[in-house]
Amino acid sequence: MTPELTGIFILIAAVMVESFAQVFLKIGATCGAADGGRSCRQAGRAGACISARGWVLFGLAAYLVEIALYTAALHFLDLSVAFPLGSLCFVGVAILSKLFLGETVGRIRWLGVGCILAGTVFVAL
Amino acid sequence: MKDVETKLPGAVIVGLIFAVVLDTIIQITWKVAVSGVPRDASLAVATAGVLSSPFFYAAMLAFGAQLWNWLRVLARADLSFAQPFTALSYITVLGLSSRWLHEHVSPSKGVGVSLILAGVFFISRTPFRTNHPDGREPQAVDPIHP
Repeated sequence: MTPELTGIFILIAAVMVESFAQVFLKIGATCGAADGGRSCRQAGRAGACISARGWVLFGLAAYLVEIALYTAALHFLDLSVAFPLGSLCFVGVAILSKLFLGETVGRIRWLGVGCILAGTVFVAL
Repeated sequence: MKDVETKLPGAVIVGLIFAVVLDTIIQITWKVAVSGVPRDASLAVATAGVLSSPFFYAAMLAFGAQLWNWLRVLARADLSFAQPFTALSYITVLGLSSRWLHEHVSPSKGVGVSLILAGVFFISRTPFRTNHPDGREPQAVDPIHP
């Protein structure tokens, strides 16, 4: 495997981790709003009840992992490649928001995400 | 069947503006803190160099404020709506880097800025929150135990 390909795989992993970090923060934020942050909102399986603060800590931990992965990816890739690829997290967040948060992600929102992706490519040139 | 909310509350607008401003502060102060470290420095020297910079602590302070602000935004708006707005910090960082750090801004970057602005505009035209008809929030699925 070439160093560039290794860097791209690591960067994609970083993007996925960052996308999940955002989902964890969203769940934590919504739990806090729903019950004053005292307990939690049931999420998923019966018994899988994590406090709002727990979800936020999950999110922060995921961000630390993402920083480590992104730093490792920069070891193999130029910033001009890593920067636009990193913006794929906008796509990841849109997909995960639909899958795990039940959010409505329509065509116009996808169009906006597409424009932002293209824009970051040009900014990196 | 899901319904949507279209009128963006002032608290969300203010939160998104703060998110972009704080993100810009984090990136600029982080860049200034790191730029004082020689490129060929060892990990220990680089870490010590960054930790000795007041800009590093300014970045950490801004990061804490950003987390607090972002959780407030996410409590009121869809993640898939709010998060793309943070792309506006690419533009503010570009402008400040050009002005203060004397970094070159090419014409292609101008095209990129226009596309990012167009993308944010499209997203701002979409409903900011998904609601179910019975008034409850969309039910989250545990991403760890789906």
